Amino acid sequence: MLNRFSTAYKIDFPMLSDLGSKVIRAFGILNTNVPEDHKMMYGMPWPGDYLLTPTGVVREKTFLRSYEYRPSASQVLLRHVKDFKGGNTVSIEADMLEATVALSADRCFPGQELGVALKIGLKPGWHIYGSPLPDNYQVTDLIFDSDLIDEQSLEFPAPARKLLKALGENLSVYEGSVRALGKLRVRWSPPMPVPFLEAIATTIKPGLYQIGGTLRFQACSDTVCEMPQEIKFTLPMTVEAGIPPAPKKPA
Amino acid sequence: MDVATKAQILHGMIARMGGGGAPITTPDWLDFVEAQNDGYRTGPEVGDKVPDFTLSDQNGKSWALHDLMGPNGLLLVFSRSADW
Repeated sequence: MLNRFSTAYKIDFPMLSDLGSKVIRAFGILNTNVPEDHKMMYGMPWPGDYLLTPTGVVREKTFLRSYEYRPSASQVLLRHVKDFKGGNTVSIEADMLEATVALSADRCFPGQELGVALKIGLKPGWHIYGSPLPDNYQVTDLIFDSDLIDEQSLEFPAPARKLLKALGENLSVYEGSVRALGKLRVRWSPPMPVPFLEAIATTIKPGLYQIGGTLRFQACSDTVCEMPQEIKFTLPMTVEAGIPPAPKKPA
Repeated sequence: MDVATKAQILHGMIARMGGGGAPITTPDWLDFVEAQNDGYRTGPEVGDKVPDFTLSDQNGKSWALHDLMGPNGLLLVFSRSADW
């Protein structure tokens, strides 16, 4: 079965068969909602993934309550593997900084969670702002605006606190370079055109999309503040057709 | 949702998908999803060592956990089925 599956989907990493669900039980993730006499579903795990250290210690794990939504391997790699090149990148240039926004993959399936990495490099003597921050300054953020995306998050490192003498205020700032990592969840779409699924979510047509986003920041030096800026960008993303059912055993 | 209700829903939906029952409605489907996922567990916690194992792959080759490790470790994905 796995041979047929890995050939059909061109999978070259090891796909392991856990006959009798021994490893699934040892991990404590056997789906115990399924009764033992259920021929089709008994033995399946609650689906999820673990990132392990070389000695087998859990570094990060992702289990989601709903199986329609799944993390992508590229998202995990973007977070944890240095210099991982996954998907498309866009460069943003402004007077006092340069930034890149990178996605963990350039193609996705509906319901997948992708990674996003924002890197900002500031000119010497200039800073941008982090949180917490008084309302009259612009905190640095990155927001995607696309019908494809139904959840997003971005985590910045802790900012430094800096006393700005000209302003007489102690503010949260980033200087030099800053890297923020986040997640983008691609909306789930029914894999089959059936009314009971289409009532839950509208279908996403496969094809090439442009995902729009906005980077907002305010650059200041110790003596001067620029106006808050909003820079819009787009990143191409290909949505694959829903995953076809696994190939059946030849009759 | 109690154990007996989950079992009844999981059995019932498969019969209906096979064409042996009434048409599936959206509430039926949401109950089916709930019956599978309610009370889900996630196994070893961050910082825990996972159980060792040896399993065969799609080509019949046997792998122990330590054989699968790369320099950055391993991404281990548990999938529900390769058959449906």
